This record gives sequence, C-alpha cells and structure tokens, in this order.
Amino acid sequence: MQPKLKSKVRCTDREVGEVTRIIVDPLSREVSHIVVGRNGAGVPERQIPASTIEAVTDDTVELRAPSSELNQFPVFRRDEYVTIHEVEIAHLEDHLHVQPGEVLVPLPELERNVKRRTFFTNLTHAIGALIALPLVYPVLRYVMKPMYAPFDNRWLKIGNVNRIKADDVGVQFKFKKTVKEAFMPEAEVDKNVWVLKASPPVLEEVYKSKDMEFRDHTGGVIWTNKRDVPYVAYSGKCPHLGCGYKWRNVPKLGRQIFLCPCHLSIYDASGKVLDGPAPRPLDPVPIRVATNGDIEIIDVEYKAGTKVQTRIV
Amino acid sequence: MTGQASNMSSVKLGLAVAWPAFWTGVPIKVVIALLLLATGLHPWEMPGLAFLLLLSIPIDIWALGLSSRTVFLERLHLQPPALVGLTLWWQATLFSALYLPIAYLIGSQAVAGAQAVASRMFELELLKTMPVPERISIELTMWGGAAAVVLLVLALGWLFGFGRIVGRQVATARPAAEPYQALVRQWDLLRVPDDQPLVLTVLAASGVTLVVLFWAFMPVSTPHPHELYEKPQEKVGPPLKPAEALQKTEKLIAQAESAVQALEAKAKKDVKNKGKNKGTGKEAAPSKADQPKAGKTETTPGNAAAPTR
Amino acid sequence: MNSQPSLLEKVFAFVDERVGLKTIQAKMLNEPVPGGSRWAYVFGSCLLFIFIMQAVTGILLMFYYVPSADHAYASTQYIIHEVDYGWFLLSYHFWGSSAMVVMVFTHMSQVFLWGAYKKPREMVWLVGLALFGLVMAFGFTGYLLPWDQRAYWATTVGVEIMDKTPVVGDFIARFLKGGPTPGQMTLSRFFVIHVMILPAALMGLAGLHLFLFRKAGPAGPFQGSVEELKAKTDYFFPRQVWKDVVAMAAVFFTICSLAFIEPVQLLEEATPDPGDYHPEPEWYFLFLFQMLRLKIFSGEFGQFLAGVAIPNAFLLLLAALPFIDRNPERNIFKRPIALVGWIVVMAGILIFTVSAIINREFLD
Repeated sequence: MQPKLKSKVRCTDREVGEVTRIIVDPLSREVSHIVVGRNGAGVPERQIPASTIEAVTDDTVELRAPSSELNQFPVFRRDEYVTIHEVEIAHLEDHLHVQPGEVLVPLPELERNVKRRTFFTNLTHAIGALIALPLVYPVLRYVMKPMYAPFDNRWLKIGNVNRIKADDVGVQFKFKKTVKEAFMPEAEVDKNVWVLKASPPVLEEVYKSKDMEFRDHTGGVIWTNKRDVPYVAYSGKCPHLGCGYKWRNVPKLGRQIFLCPCHLSIYDASGKVLDGPAPRPLDPVPIRVATNGDIEIIDVEYKAGTKVQTRIV
Repeated sequence: MTGQASNMSSVKLGLAVAWPAFWTGVPIKVVIALLLLATGLHPWEMPGLAFLLLLSIPIDIWALGLSSRTVFLERLHLQPPALVGLTLWWQATLFSALYLPIAYLIGSQAVAGAQAVASRMFELELLKTMPVPERISIELTMWGGAAAVVLLVLALGWLFGFGRIVGRQVATARPAAEPYQALVRQWDLLRVPDDQPLVLTVLAASGVTLVVLFWAFMPVSTPHPHELYEKPQEKVGPPLKPAEALQKTEKLIAQAESAVQALEAKAKKDVKNKGKNKGTGKEAAPSKADQPKAGKTETTPGNAAAPTR
Repeated sequence: MNSQPSLLEKVFAFVDERVGLKTIQAKMLNEPVPGGSRWAYVFGSCLLFIFIMQAVTGILLMFYYVPSADHAYASTQYIIHEVDYGWFLLSYHFWGSSAMVVMVFTHMSQVFLWGAYKKPREMVWLVGLALFGLVMAFGFTGYLLPWDQRAYWATTVGVEIMDKTPVVGDFIARFLKGGPTPGQMTLSRFFVIHVMILPAALMGLAGLHLFLFRKAGPAGPFQGSVEELKAKTDYFFPRQVWKDVVAMAAVFFTICSLAFIEPVQLLEEATPDPGDYHPEPEWYFLFLFQMLRLKIFSGEFGQFLAGVAIPNAFLLLLAALPFIDRNPERNIFKRPIALVGWIVVMAGILIFTVSAIINREFLD
C-alpha cells in the first residue's frame, strides 16, 4: 500500500505531522520519499526516504525513527521538483495511488440506460457502413478498368517469305504496331517476331500432331495454325522474362540456335528449351501467309516466367 | 418554455412539430430519390413522383408521431394521445389538400404582380437609363422582397392551420405528472426500439438490398455523353461470309491459272526471241502480273476465311 | 456470459496496456454536450465528411487524370465516357465541392447565430475563417483542371481581377499563372496547389480547429434553464455521433442524387479565343462577379475594390468580431444587430447571385 497524501505521520513515540507531498522516482516509478510537515507551525517540511516507513494504513504512516531524529532528515526544497503534470513520464499515473478518496463526475441521466447506448452505437455503425458500401463496387470497377483489357486480334503484315532463304533458319521480322492507350494519341511501337520455314521434323516438334488454336478472352477460337503450313512465327519475347532473343550460329554446338542474352536461355529451331531458365518453349503466334508470300501475324503476348501459357495482350 | 400548453401560439406549435417531422423524413426520402435517379426516373416527375409520394405516407406518419410525442412530453408536459401520428397525418393531408392549391394561386399571382410592377417602374423616364446589372439587382430586390413576404405569410398560414390541428390533440391530452427529467427520459427512449436486434437486422438487410439494387441500376458510362466525343470503335473482326469467300477464292484461282498460262505462252515466245536477239541481252522479266493481283486479295474481307488450306 | 475474452477484447487489452486506449477513448467520446446532442451541431462533422469524400474521389480521379495542357481535357473526357463509373465519381467530386461551400456557409452561420465565436472561442473562430478561405481556394483551383472553355476562362478572369490589386497584384497574378499568360505553367501550379498544398493546409488547420474546440468545450444552446440543460445533457457518443452520421448519410445521398441529376459535362477544349462563350466563375463566386459589373466598380481601382478589397475587408470584420462584440449574450433574439446583419449579408449574397444568373440573358 502506498502512503496517502494528508495521512497522519507517527514516529515511534508520537505524531509529528502529516504527509504534505509525495516524491516519486521517475525511473522506477515508486514512491521514493514522503514530505512531512506540520500545519502552520512555521517548521520546515522534512523529506523522509521511503525506507524509513515502517507501516502504512489508509490514514496513517508509521516511521521507524523516533521524533527526536526528525531534524536529521533534509529540509524539503520545493524548487528542486516539478509536479507530475509538468513532465511526461510514461504510465506514471498507472503506478500511483496516493490520493485519498476519488474525484468524481456524475454520469448524465440519459447515459445511464445501457440499452440506449448500445442501440445508438450499433445504429451508428450500421449507418456508417451503409454510407461506405455504395462506393465499393463502382470504385473497384473504376480502378480495374484497364487491368483486363480485351485482346488486340488485328492481323499485321510483317514482310514477305522471300526473305527466308533456307529451312530451319530463324529470320527476324521487325514491324511497327500502332497502339492507342486510353486517351493518349496514337503511337507506334517497334516489335519483332522470328519466323522460320520449318522442315517436317521440326514442324512435328512444334505442333506435336495437333493444330494450334488461339482463343480470345471469351474462350472462342479466333484462329488455328494448321500443322501442315511450314511457316512458324515465334513471339519476339523470351518466355523467361520477356527479353528479345537472337538466332545464333554456335560453332561449339555445331548448330544454330535461338539464344536469349539476358539469362542465356537456349532454344532450338522448334522452340524447344535446350538450356537455361526458360519455363516453357518459344511461343508461336497466329500466322497466315498469302498466296504472294506476304506474312501476317497477330501480335499475341504471353505472361513471362510461367510454365502454362497465359495470354495477356 | 416549460409546460405552457395553452400559451403556445398555433404557429409556434405547428412549427415545433412540423419542422422536426420534415427533417426526420428527409434522410429516408433522399435514399428513395437516389434509387429512383439510378433507374433513370426523376423524383419530381411522374411516375417517380407518385412512387415517392406513396412511400412518403408511412414515413410521414411515423415522423409526425415521433416529433409530436417529443413535443408533447418535452415542451407541453402532456401525455401524447394514442395514434397521434396517424391522426395528425390524415388531418394535415386534408387541410393541405384545401390550403395548398389556394396558396399556390395567391402566391403565383402575387409574384407575377410584383414582377410586373417592378419592370413597369423601370419604364419610367427617370430610371430608363440605368445600366443593366444595377437594374437587374434593384428589380430583383423589389419583387423578390415582395414575393418573400407573401411566401412567408402563406407559410405562416399553413403553420397556423397545422398548429390548430395539433392544438386539438393537445386539448384532449392528459397532463403528465412526472418530473421533467422523467419526461426527457421518456421521449428519449421513444427512439430506442424494444427489439433492437430485429430493427438493426432489418435496417442492415434492407440497406444492403437497396445498395445492390443501386449497383444494378446505375449506368456504367455517363448518361449524358458529350456530342463531340467519339468512343474508339471496338476492333471487331470483319464478319465471316464462307460462301462469298469460297466464290472469291475460286475466281482468284481461275485468274491465277489464266495468268500462269499467259506467262507460259510468253516464256515460250521469249525463248524463241532470245534465240534471235542474243546480242541484246534483253530478258523480258516475268511480269509481276501475279503479285499485284495476289496483293489485292489480302485486303478483301473474304480472305479472312482463307484458313481452309 | 463468456468467461474467456474474445480475440477483439484481447487485442484491445493489448493496445490499452501500452497506449491507454480506454482513457483516450473515454476522453474523446464521453464529452458531455450541455443541453444534449443537437441536430444544429452536425454541420462541422458534415464538413469533415465532405472533405474526406472529396479527398477519396479526388485521389481516384488522379488514377486517370493527367495535368498537362495536352492531355487534361482528353483524360477528363476519358474518365467521363470510358472508365466504369468514372462519370459518377467525377460528378460526385464536382457536386461535393458545391456541397462543401454550402456546408461552410451553414456551419459559419450556425456558429455566428449561436454566438459561439465569443470568449473563450475566439481562436476556434479565427482558425475557422482561415479554413473558409482554404475551401474557396480549393474551389477556385480545382475548377481549372478539366481545361475546357469554362474552366480556362473562369480562371483567367479570376486571376485578372486579382491582378488589379495595387502593388502586389501583378506579382500574385504572374505567380498563379506561372507567366504573363495562362498556359501549361498555370495548370501545373493550380494542380499542385489543389492536390498537395491546400489539402495539407486544410488537414493541419482542421486538426487545430478540432483541438481548440475541444479545449474550449461545446458552447451549447443559448437558452434554457440550468435544470433543463442538465436533464437533457448526454455524451458526444453515441447520441451526437449518431446525429452526425445521419446528417452525413443525408449529405452523401444528396450529393449522389445531384451527380445523377446533372452529371458533369465539359464544354469544348480550352482555346485562347473565347469565341461565343461568356466566361463565368463557379456559382459561389457569382455574387462577386455580379458586383464587378456595377458601374460604381468600373475602372481598375473599382475592380480591385469589388473583387479583392471589399470581400477581404468583410473577412477582416468577421475576424475582428470576437474582439468587437464582447457582450456575453448568446441568444440571437437578443442580439438584434447580429441578426439583422446576418439576414442582410445572406440576402445580399443571394440577390447578387440570382442577378448574375438573370444577367446571362442580357449578354449579347
């Protein structure tokens, strides 16, 4: 129990005064001293360490020392202290119970009804939620508008097959694609694909006896690459992380391959991964060749770094 | 303001009940109006107006009941009669049905008259030369002020009538013997329902339902598009017409065949000529007749069907 | 009942042990409102709500809006016509700004009529006047951003009026325009002021306003016996909070309704030639606009008087009010000068605003 302000102070022999002030240690937050004074006696207040306290009750503090030794305790100097309201010490009030009694304020009459309080609390929460709710769906759609844009399935002319001189050799076709993003004016971006005229074994490796279907975002088929057409066009982006790759002659291997300079994924003419971190083979894109040899492709893009092909553009 | 039932004037009494009742109904009616607007209806035109007025009936009865009970207990220290909301509502509706058309007539006549007088004033020689902005403000103040006074009087008239209706209920009410604090607690607790979970659940459920309806009805793009704004056309692939495509392809093949035959004939001739013109080194390059024709086929829509290889 | 505290209660106890959450909550929510919670006190909270909604819708608009002279118009049209519910969010933002001005006038009027600017609430009132200025600045700067004819010309005329201020007018006008004539620099400056500077200032001053208000305590009703006031006293929470929330809901649904009734429609893109278009500021500046048309305010100094001097002088008068009006009486029916003054000012603003609307037909 902590000594209370205004408690009577008794030495071993007699009463010597009352507790006029309490001093707290700011670090340990414990009562370190009491200040004893006698009302109107003109006698200076004395500062008594807590170790001298023998016992504490609600209205009395008993000291170990006799009253004759009281004058050996130091005189209390007020200017060496500040009140606990003038200094910020964390959680100090939680550790202090030195006030005799309490200071109270009555609860307003209307607030004494718990049912009323809970009703209005809940009603306020309900109305608040109902204000926020109508915005949720429109705002979600608003921010998501460009995130799942439908695919661009335009056929783009990229060149002519007369550029391809030999079988199973990658030929890069660079082309310009016009894009219109939202409210921006139309712009042109440079893109490229690798086309090769595949020999039957390579063609078989690419198609694996199945025609290649390409779908739009609703799942409907928009084009089928037939497996008897010898021309194959691969998307210019490496399926690992989207870098542009090259067709290279590698004397050490004695063959030509597709090589991606970013992380050294290597693919053969059929797009199969020979080495490197690529998770899947090169992505063929829809291709059609006109009777005069003009090649058209749909610029399809797939998500990089995944085993399964997921179309994104 | 404590307990002077007989001393409260009719206008004051009418205002004391009508003002809170009106505002009590507003939040609920705004929600209804918003829902109507989401569907494209206007709450100030039929049929939206009919819908709003119909739903206002239970709302107004409830609001009048709540406001009048509060006034009875707090200001008049009387116990409110049973079903006071309903009684006040139907009597006020009857009264308004008689009063409002007359008031509207008087009001519109007064406003029109004041406007006429004000504009006549400015035809006087003295004031003819006054510049336009000053003239507008002075005219407006004149007829606006007059109109405001007229409207105020008409409003007070309605409040007087409504106050008399409330007064009839006051006359039949028993005095409330409880102390002031108890009366305050009584009208305060009028607002707390007996079955709280029920009321809160119903409110939450109807709120969520209305919100979902709101989402379903509200238009995704602006209901008032700008006349000059062009939406970018959806790049729809040209429609597939298989029969046409086949016909076109057949035609092309026939054309190509004839072109090839012509070329072969020409080549034969060239070989003959080459023999003659060895020195000239002129070689008739095979005409690119094939290319442009084939080139043209790409742009015709039918060729989108070309997948049939 | 449960003997084990729920998860929520445990989390609450955890935080409370470290922060004194229970005490903070009690101090914030259990503020006794003398005379009980009142609907007349909701306008300040409504203002806070409208501001938060403006911030939310404004941030969302910034997902698509581009503050460059090339793209401002196109991006705004994109929001209106292409983005899902973009028209609704933009229209909400537009009508919300009007609602803010209406609410600021209502709140100021309520404080004035209740005499709640008098001692000890002078500082609350002064900070409130600064907030009023910020709200008007918000409206003025935001109006330019769509960069259509209306926006461009309203801003041009407004800045030209400020230019008429003696000594500093030219500097202020060039600062706002970012040059001698309006253009990209103007748009960039108005954008950063509208989106960064004003919101930061408003949040800071609003916090100060609330702090000062709490320190002074609510003024309460201006009439009623002590017994009556005591009997009706209740706490800020839940009753006043409940009234605040209902008022916020009504405001929210009203602004939504206005967005449906009159969605934002832009005019043509801004051009240096106004053509047939007659410049006009937003409706809450119309009364000043009309005053500027009066003959007595013609000429450079006259325009300065009507556009800058008189409005600012009036604001200074309002600022001085708590120091001029020392009478502790707060009952409006016992303060005839205050009541008449309020009616005259409100009527005057109304008359000039309506006059400006009528004047449209006379602009040949």
